[in-house]
Amino acid sequence: MRLPRSASTLAALLIAATLGACATPPPASDPAAVADFKRTNDPLEPTNRVFYAINNALDDVVLRPLAVGYRYAVPSSVREHVDNMLGNLNTPVVLANDMMQGKPRRAGDTFARFFINSTIGIGGLFDVATDAGYPGHDADFGETLALWGVPEGPFLYLPVLGPTDPRDAAGFGVDVALSPFTWVGQGHVVSNLEYTQYGLTAVSTRAALIPDLDKVKEQALDPYATFRSLYRQHRRAQIEAIRDDDRHTVPIWYPSAPETK
Amino acid sequence: MLTRRSLARASLLFPALAAVAQPRIARAQTAAQAVAFVNTTAKDLIAVIDSTASQADKQGRLQQIVDRAVAVEQIARFCLGRFWRTATAAQQQDYVKLFHHVLLASITGHLGEYKGVTYTLGRPVPGEGGIEVPSVLNRPGAASAKLTWVVNDIGGQPKVIDVVAEGTSMRVTQRSDYDSYLNQHGGSVEALIGALKRQAARAG
Repeated sequence: MRLPRSASTLAALLIAATLGACATPPPASDPAAVADFKRTNDPLEPTNRVFYAINNALDDVVLRPLAVGYRYAVPSSVREHVDNMLGNLNTPVVLANDMMQGKPRRAGDTFARFFINSTIGIGGLFDVATDAGYPGHDADFGETLALWGVPEGPFLYLPVLGPTDPRDAAGFGVDVALSPFTWVGQGHVVSNLEYTQYGLTAVSTRAALIPDLDKVKEQALDPYATFRSLYRQHRRAQIEAIRDDDRHTVPIWYPSAPETK
Repeated sequence: MLTRRSLARASLLFPALAAVAQPRIARAQTAAQAVAFVNTTAKDLIAVIDSTASQADKQGRLQQIVDRAVAVEQIARFCLGRFWRTATAAQQQDYVKLFHHVLLASITGHLGEYKGVTYTLGRPVPGEGGIEVPSVLNRPGAASAKLTWVVNDIGGQPKVIDVVAEGTSMRVTQRSDYDSYLNQHGGSVEALIGALKRQAARAG
């Protein structure tokens, strides 16, 4: 049976892409180069660069114009409220991750935020909880895995997620499963609301990042490598910050309370 | 029991103790110096940013501050990584000059964003590259940003060798960029110099 021409071309392209997908390590005669290659830890670099190019093209054509339009059309106070509301919708995931990370004060902050912002903050539109002393934070399952000791693995640049690694990509999948809104209800309205939530999160995040991403793309000699480095450093800093968050969990008047924290 | 031998041994301890105590005191002075240095540099920078002088004037004054306070050559060497040794002396000179130019251009290009900024300095922490002075920048109308200044003694003067913004180190990021570019161009420092020349020309 002959495959239609387009399918066989596609198959040929995929095979070529897979075979050429691995980066060639430098010769062992150059130990400094080998050390650099190992530190960069990007064995799938050719494939990653292809996905980066595709993502970049999609970003230039679709996401960035949407984000620019969003920033232009929607006043900043409304954008802030939208951000607050989206953050509030994400709270169950953050709470589950805080608990799995074993950070009781962070979990307490998140729970208080959910309760205060959903009621007094009218469905999460107003961030009243920060002024009440419960600062917000993000938590995802990739961070939880890191705190459990899972190493980050090689760098991956995925089509929609962007810069990531196997640990964080798996974490994203688990986060989608952890979100109660994934399971609640069925039908057109519910799935449209879900698409709206993810779509709005993407546009809103992209709008906040417009100046930073533009700066990197215009100033870097190799934007892909710069994003890779920035992503990794930022991720490590986030995980260290959670690890260092040792605020005590007993009241200060309790006999066994630590000196100060 | 106090014997002559134990006294002799005890007297040996005193200079050892003195030697151990002194570096700690010297360290504390250096940490305080680092904070004072960052404070002065930040105040100078803000004075230039908020001043009403012309753009060319501001750029000139900024260049003076950067030359005085930032260890540009050390940062440039770090950013070239292992390729510094493969470059000829002339290439090294060209590279450092271009690096300097591009660094200045990128700093002055984004000054407008920092008009009216205020900052607070935190407690310095000795790190591996030098003394890390954490600070929080408060830009009017934007969220506060964490910035850590890494200060080291270069030739007897404190100088900034790195700036870490929200956990990302400027010179590590820049080194990744140059490293990747050089790997793609077969390790040719000449190609990097060409790219930097084009960048410098674009920045003006």
